[in-house]
Amino acid sequence: MTVYVIGEFRDTASAAQAIRLIRDHAVSGADLDVFSEEPVEFRRGVLDRPSRMSLASVLGGISFGLLSSAFIYFAQHNYRLVTGGMPVFSFWATGVITFEMTMLGAIVATFAWFLWESGLIRKRDRRAPVPEVEPGSLCLRMRCAEDEAAWASDAMRRAGAIGVQRRGES
Amino acid sequence: MASTPELLPYQRIREDLFRPLSGISRAYALTTAVAFVVGAAGLIAWGYQLRRGMGVTGLGRPVFWGFYIVDFVFWIGISHAGTLISAILRLTNAAWRKPVTRAAEAITVFALMIGGMFPIIHLGRAWLFYWLLPYPNSRLLWPNFRSPLLWDLTAIVTYMTGSVIYLYLPLIPDMAQLAEHNTPWRRKFYRALSLGWTGSDRQWHALERAMKLMACLILAVAVSVHTVVAWDFAMALAPMWHSTIFGPYFVAGAIFSGIAALILVMAALRKVLRLESYLTRRHFDNLARLLLLMSLLWLYFTVSENLTVWYGNDPKEMAVFGARTRAHYAPYFWTMVVLNFVIPFVVLGIRRLRTIANTAIAAGCVVVGMWLERFVIVVPTLANPRLASASGSYAPTWVEGAITAATFAAMVMLYMIFSKLFPIIAVWEFKPHEQEDE
Repeated sequence: MTVYVIGEFRDTASAAQAIRLIRDHAVSGADLDVFSEEPVEFRRGVLDRPSRMSLASVLGGISFGLLSSAFIYFAQHNYRLVTGGMPVFSFWATGVITFEMTMLGAIVATFAWFLWESGLIRKRDRRAPVPEVEPGSLCLRMRCAEDEAAWASDAMRRAGAIGVQRRGES
Repeated sequence: MASTPELLPYQRIREDLFRPLSGISRAYALTTAVAFVVGAAGLIAWGYQLRRGMGVTGLGRPVFWGFYIVDFVFWIGISHAGTLISAILRLTNAAWRKPVTRAAEAITVFALMIGGMFPIIHLGRAWLFYWLLPYPNSRLLWPNFRSPLLWDLTAIVTYMTGSVIYLYLPLIPDMAQLAEHNTPWRRKFYRALSLGWTGSDRQWHALERAMKLMACLILAVAVSVHTVVAWDFAMALAPMWHSTIFGPYFVAGAIFSGIAALILVMAALRKVLRLESYLTRRHFDNLARLLLLMSLLWLYFTVSENLTVWYGNDPKEMAVFGARTRAHYAPYFWTMVVLNFVIPFVVLGIRRLRTIANTAIAAGCVVVGMWLERFVIVVPTLANPRLASASGSYAPTWVEGAITAATFAAMVMLYMIFSKLFPIIAVWEFKPHEQEDE
């Protein structure tokens, strides 16, 4: 059965120490979450959260840019205006629209990726308990099997947790 | 003396910044009522125009662009306050930006909403606005993608989308906090908008990454939007419009008017919402310096633009130049110079005079001056076209005046509503940080 061990810490250093102790037992970063009322920065290697948001943004931009260019090309050829010998489709004359659509694609992709990566639209741990964080403190939540809860609680206390709770899925 | 906000305890910061969301003061109710009346008058004027046609405006041959296009360019310029300034300050990691950014981002969204209305008002037959959208009509004729007017549409849609997202993202953590202790309907409202934010490190990391990326993207879009607006004019072979510096000239002007609008809004919010401890003299001083810098840049562009025309002595261009500086439109032109350069230079340049009240006065002058600048750019050129026999004049009617006044009222009203629904300063960004102290 899956349980959650939640430790409350007063500072980032002790939370980082707890994460290190727990990860020494081959616990994956995916099973750990830190809750706080403001962004918390850990040193590199403590709890890295690699992201592909920049890549998604670039790909979104390229896709929208290409699609809009193709759409304009189709539209211009669908009803050929008399252009007096000038090209029916001119990249430079429609470049502004391509640029704006590229940027729109990048913006939409960034936002969509944010929603996905933050878990706001992909509720992975829908039933996981969310600790109430006091201003100025932070909570470390670990998902583990029931028999691992004891040493996880102990590791958090050793690292300086001011309170440790064990909770099941809500 | 107001205490430095970073040194205030978090609980107090939270209470102070969430307090304006509840209760309605008399000043608030009165301001909203006045704005509503002026806005309603503008709606009636627009209704009158829709019923009677564009003949009720002062527009006619050869001046087909008057107050409406002036207002359009002006409001798009004001929209640069927010997102652009906020993005620059965020990317440069300026710690003093924290109480400024949300107020600025909200200006962008509202100014874009208002500015975006003007092409539709100017259409006359507003109900056919969807003809601007890229779909084929009954004869399979598509919109002309080479037209700068269509460029405008795409640029504004992109900027609007980006600005709304850029405003929304940092609101999420605050809305999650607001959902905790509130009246039932507000709780539902904030819970729905905060999308189940829990404050986990994954969410904070994603938010910070998204904000950084959005700041980069929005910078490029903001510059492109006002460049495209400038190209509406510059791509035409009209005297004093067909200029290579129009793009950067408009962008600089937009940032200039945007900063001025931001200062005005901040000064008003500081008084009305009693945020003296958060919007301190330091913030106004920094923005005043930026405004002064932009005033000098604006002067540089204005001189460059006019000097080359005067030196070139092209008769068609000189007709417009003369109309602007010596004839019919000279009072507007010189008032613009006084409001955009002389007053800000004196008031903001002398340190002793750079108080919050004086900064707000200088900003007010710049807002009016930049509206006049748009008028001086749009109207004299149309009144003095290349074909001399086609020249004419333009006198706006009460309909255009009422609609223009209504837009300012709409801005006030939208801001009033926003300040009652969302904290005007990002609370989660305002936690005490010793390292960010001056």
